[in-house]
Amino acid sequence: MKQELYDLAEWVVKTTRAAGAGDCRVSLQSGRTVTIGYRERKPENIQESSTKALLVEVFANNRYSLQRTSDVRRDALKVFLQNAVAMTKLLAEDPLRTLPDPKYYQGRAAADIGLLDPGYKALTPEDRHGYVRTLEDACLAKAGSKVISAQASVNDNYSESVLMTCNGFDGYTERTVFSAHAEVTVKDEGDRRPSEYAFAQAAKRNSLPEPEDLGSEAARRALDMLGGKKIKTETLPIIIENRVVPRFGDGFMQAMFGRAIQQKQSFLADKKGQKIASPIMTVIDDPFIPGGLGSRLFDGDGITAKKRVMIDAGVLKDFYIDWYYSRKLGWAPTSGSPSNVVMPPGQRSVNEIIKDLGRGIFVAGFIGGNSNSTTGDTSIGITGRLFDKGELSHAVSEMNIADNHLKIWSRLAEAANDPANDPFLYSAQRVPSLVFTDVVVAGI
Amino acid sequence: MKEISRRSFLKTGAAAAATFAVPSVLTEGWPVLARPEEAGYFEREFGVTDALYRKILAEALGKGGDFADLYFEHTISNALVLEDGKVNRAAGEIDLGVGIRTVKGEQVGYGFTQELTEKSMLAAAGTAATIADTKARGPAGRFVKLETQNAYPLKTLLTAVPLESKLPLLQTANEKCFALNPLVIKVSVLFQDQQKRIMIVTSGGVKAEDLQPNTVLAILVVAEKNGRRERSWWSIGGRQGFAYFTPSLVDDMCRKAVGRTVLLFDALQPPAGEMPVVLGPGITGILLHEAIGHGLEADFNWKKTSTYCTMLGKKVAEPFVTVIDDGTVPNLAGSINVDDEGTPGQKTVLIDKGVLASYMHDNISARNYKLASTGNGRRQSYQNYVIPRMRNTYMLAGPAAPADVVKAAGKGLYVQDVSNGEVKIGEGDFAFYVSQGRIIENGKLGAPVKDVNIMGNGPKMLANITMVANDFEFCLQAGGNCGKYGQQVLVSFGQPTCLVKSLTVGGVKG
Repeated sequence: MKQELYDLAEWVVKTTRAAGAGDCRVSLQSGRTVTIGYRERKPENIQESSTKALLVEVFANNRYSLQRTSDVRRDALKVFLQNAVAMTKLLAEDPLRTLPDPKYYQGRAAADIGLLDPGYKALTPEDRHGYVRTLEDACLAKAGSKVISAQASVNDNYSESVLMTCNGFDGYTERTVFSAHAEVTVKDEGDRRPSEYAFAQAAKRNSLPEPEDLGSEAARRALDMLGGKKIKTETLPIIIENRVVPRFGDGFMQAMFGRAIQQKQSFLADKKGQKIASPIMTVIDDPFIPGGLGSRLFDGDGITAKKRVMIDAGVLKDFYIDWYYSRKLGWAPTSGSPSNVVMPPGQRSVNEIIKDLGRGIFVAGFIGGNSNSTTGDTSIGITGRLFDKGELSHAVSEMNIADNHLKIWSRLAEAANDPANDPFLYSAQRVPSLVFTDVVVAGI
Repeated sequence: MKEISRRSFLKTGAAAAATFAVPSVLTEGWPVLARPEEAGYFEREFGVTDALYRKILAEALGKGGDFADLYFEHTISNALVLEDGKVNRAAGEIDLGVGIRTVKGEQVGYGFTQELTEKSMLAAAGTAATIADTKARGPAGRFVKLETQNAYPLKTLLTAVPLESKLPLLQTANEKCFALNPLVIKVSVLFQDQQKRIMIVTSGGVKAEDLQPNTVLAILVVAEKNGRRERSWWSIGGRQGFAYFTPSLVDDMCRKAVGRTVLLFDALQPPAGEMPVVLGPGITGILLHEAIGHGLEADFNWKKTSTYCTMLGKKVAEPFVTVIDDGTVPNLAGSINVDDEGTPGQKTVLIDKGVLASYMHDNISARNYKLASTGNGRRQSYQNYVIPRMRNTYMLAGPAAPADVVKAAGKGLYVQDVSNGEVKIGEGDFAFYVSQGRIIENGKLGAPVKDVNIMGNGPKMLANITMVANDFEFCLQAGGNCGKYGQQVLVSFGQPTCLVKSLTVGGVKG
């Protein structure tokens, strides 16, 4: 298939240029996905599919457009590409829209970053059904008499892609992604039916947890939410569990992108080199983690991947700048998108921290909420558990936090370190659980 | 409108890839000549026939099953972006495919293909068939065309609107925004149009076609005052033709976008805690969508995972509260002439004068409850199978005057604009994010507020609606993309001003 993709990509580059584009970048992807879900100990859904997708970026007379299609028959494509180029020429001129300087394609690492599971092709339907059946059984066993519903599913995806430009870049990526998910709903007082989930995702199937453990985790999380209630509005320390830190951190990250900065929608725009968070906060963008879900050797512009320190002990060191916005800003490009985002763990486990803090909220999930990248203002609903006198207490629900990203990250007091659990590995954002002090938690 | 869902984690990859919809399509190659209402689009353009449908459906039922259906889709989308004064970016996308589903009880087998060839479609049908394991069944001998109302007739196909006619729309918006206020420092404008053609063929013998347009104009403004920056936006969207976007509409949108942005210089995050909340008219219907709507989708109820699953026929709100989900509202984003499994678009009363009257059904849940489908079977595209989804969800107007509702609140929060929301189906706990609002003090609107999340519990909130005003409005803003199990569908809302006795406001220390 690799050669077939290369042949088609070369044909698309040639045809797009023949239609009048000065330059172009072509991305072709071909993949197969299988999903199996179980409920009440039988398959609830079985889905299997193969897809193809072509993305062409056209650069014609200093004008730019991007065009996608799933119809890659050459006769249909030829018309599609001619239309794409003709349309692009009608747009306003923007001389900054070019392919990257080829010097940014240089120096690509030769490392094997472990994106492909060599066992993928030998995977059988019984392997898939077996995992998901055990996963559902584990949910049911752990939740016991409280269970109302358990749903379990597995998904695997194989994809090949080629990225090619007419100024000398080509790159091929072959990868697999396996995921497993379980959700358990349990009976609570009145009409409340708390529901929680466990999930894992990895490039290699044997990096997924055992289905017994994952199912049991989903049930344990649902049981933990029994008896949820809100407490009086109070200023407290909070511990955000590792797997949901990215959802909160996203409001901060939004301000680190070139477009936000150039469009004056970033509260971090003029903060490079400045202290913007507590010394606990170090963020590294590392594209070379073996098997990392964000691992890569080049980005969507074709720019060679590099490991970068984005925030160093609270000091803002770098931004995510793609080629186009690098030209608009007059800055050097880094990359327009994060790879693996890593925060180093601290010294103590979450339990030790809870004992030490005495009273606070362990935040296990978020609900609703948003963040304003221009000002840093944020507000979001939380779910989790109150801890008091150093022990986990009842579940909390219907509560909110509100803050500003420039303030709250300065109150990051500690990163946890639970060797079995930190950082969370089943995400491209590998972060530990984080402790923030003096957070206004809104309730009654 | 995210919803906690067991497959939301799958969304990341797929959603990230689908950044910008595209579609160019000037004239050649794509069927811009067909009149919008002309039937037989897929037969004409792709050469599929009744005989072929029968063959594929027979394959899908090759191992038994209750029924099977085919969903053909051809979607052409375009987007234009203005940034820094120029329309310097366009995106286009063409998506073509067919999804094939076999249903046995509550079990679904699903395959799809992007090639409308007999071989590929039979292979996808073979995948769908694996859900069953009994004796083969045959589909109906003939297919009868479903006749429906048209809630969004198009005079001109969106694919027939030349790019040159769209460009001035964006340029005008840009110039107007800068002219309106010297504090404006950046403007970006997005215009998107999408033309989705679908055809559903069922083993029961129904053949239904629809052309679903969707257009969006969005204007985002950044302003600066004394070194401080704020941004806000206004958008309009729905199942409209291009002619809907008149100069006076654009003018009004620019005024709103700029006015709302500069207002934020005076806005604060409100104090935290429980307080009375008044929902202004229109977009605040997001609260209905989250707090009530998702929990009334029938799949969550027959699985007993919704907090509402024991409440059918019971009083859940005061008698002046009636909530409807409706696919027939002219040109509104969530309207559908036919749902994605061949049931005609219709209006469903969910809460009738305070009593829970109906869930929202697709064919699978309707069979479970031994009812007819309510036409809520929807899917994102041919790559997904149908699940129960909302359309346009709204609360009918009540008797009160809006000013009296604010007065009755005494001290609390007035919600003017909402940007997103989410619900936990089992607990009924929901959240929605208020991008703009006002403090209510002494029964009057006070200082503007911004960026605050509000949480509540669906059944409690319903019981706590103590006043409903007579100023009902549909939400005409764009962006009602509702996510469930990783599938996005277009929805809209409607709401009169109403008072909720108490919700938790995620503000700052007051």
